[in-house]
Amino acid sequence: MMKRFLKVYSIEQKLAFRSADGIIFGICMPVGIMVLIAMIAGEKVAGNQGYTYLDGSFASLIAVGICAAAFMGIPLTVADYRDKKILKHFFVTPCSPMLLLGTIFLCNMVTAVLSALAVTLTAVLGFGYRMVGNPVQFIGAWVLTLVSMFSIGLMMASVCRTVKSANAITSLVYFPMLFLSGATIPFELFPEGLQKISSVLPLTQGIKLMKTASMGMQTEKNGSIVLLLLGITLVCCLISVKTFRWE
Amino acid sequence: MSVYIKVSNLTKKFKGRTVVDELSFEARRGEVFGLLGHNGAGKSTTIETLLGLKKADGGTAEVLGMEPEKHRKEIFERVGVQLQSSNYQSTIRVGEICQEIAALYKNPADYRILLKRFGLEAFEKAQVNKLSGGERQKLSVLLALIPQPEIVFLDELTTGLDTAARREVWRTLKELKSEGTTLFLTTHYMEEAESLCDWICLIKEGKKIAEGTVQELIAKSPYANLEEAYLWYMGEEI
Repeated sequence: MMKRFLKVYSIEQKLAFRSADGIIFGICMPVGIMVLIAMIAGEKVAGNQGYTYLDGSFASLIAVGICAAAFMGIPLTVADYRDKKILKHFFVTPCSPMLLLGTIFLCNMVTAVLSALAVTLTAVLGFGYRMVGNPVQFIGAWVLTLVSMFSIGLMMASVCRTVKSANAITSLVYFPMLFLSGATIPFELFPEGLQKISSVLPLTQGIKLMKTASMGMQTEKNGSIVLLLLGITLVCCLISVKTFRWE
Repeated sequence: MSVYIKVSNLTKKFKGRTVVDELSFEARRGEVFGLLGHNGAGKSTTIETLLGLKKADGGTAEVLGMEPEKHRKEIFERVGVQLQSSNYQSTIRVGEICQEIAALYKNPADYRILLKRFGLEAFEKAQVNKLSGGERQKLSVLLALIPQPEIVFLDELTTGLDTAARREVWRTLKELKSEGTTLFLTTHYMEEAESLCDWICLIKEGKKIAEGTVQELIAKSPYANLEEAYLWYMGEEI
């Protein structure tokens, strides 16, 4: 079974690398923004917390890879495979379509990991970034953000019946998450009203968690963010399982 | 001859509309079984329900003596299926789709030998989407053969192909037939049914209208060829 999974995964991963979307949106974009922010305002102090824009942006740019994988990679691939009856075809083999979904999930996780590595290498080697906070805590926050955002992506994949609606919903979720969550445009630059709107987005909360971990800040809010993200994961997974259709 | 597919009173409804209506038939080992009917007659639904892809509202279906819903894994190790108008991942290459499908089975055939046999070996590195319609359908048949199946289900394999490509696919199917592979196919081309099928089942609005060999069906009608006989059975003779 494991061998089957790995074989199918290796082919799906080749396909994922072949289409440039994941690489452009998931890897090149956050690295590019990182370079821009570091060059324009890297050393400037962001907001009134006493950290630099580079410090503040590191965690949020790590989240761009998660955002691209969760809100574009997963729903678009699943919708496409459903539309092309590829999922259905797995039903008439001894393997379950779950195997294929598992490989899609893994491919997107790989995109998010590669994105995080690329952003980290650029920040550390290119701009002398050093994490103040605890890296283990940061990785924990990253995993939780990834899992909760992927569960939202899976829910989108289940709810959208056609490629067309998947495209529409993806744009509707991906772009606000990308620009309003602080993933790309530093949260500190938002006026207070926008910050309030932005805080509603689940990704914003994930980024907050990663950010405080990366800067070694402990706030009493973190506990509730963890609970919120776990809750999102649970609810979205339930909805996606309940509403999933192979065709 | 042993019965490989046995369908009894199979019924499938969609939103109150009966698409497959108390359908019964048997396909025997080594036989090419053709399910014929107009577009929308319920051919694909019949295949999908009998394979357990859709849940039947009544009746039973057995493939290789087993009910697909209960023995999915066992059946699909031994049965190759090509669903109607299925597609492939957009950038996948011929060799890759073969490997991916082969990875799903315990004893897959060597896909390179199959590629050679189907005259597709030159395309191993080509993208599936760049193949011509005929080549792609030959690839579909090839993929259905990867499990080294005892039965091959082919749903509307030649719909949409031009005459030359269709004939090429038929030639492939005839080869399979001469090797004794049990084939179950749906079509609305009478020529296809006439040249390939040992047994034909005509359906209309999910109901069986008639069944028999090509000769029997023609003999029971007032006409001399299958196409006219078919229209007569369907109640649409001109």
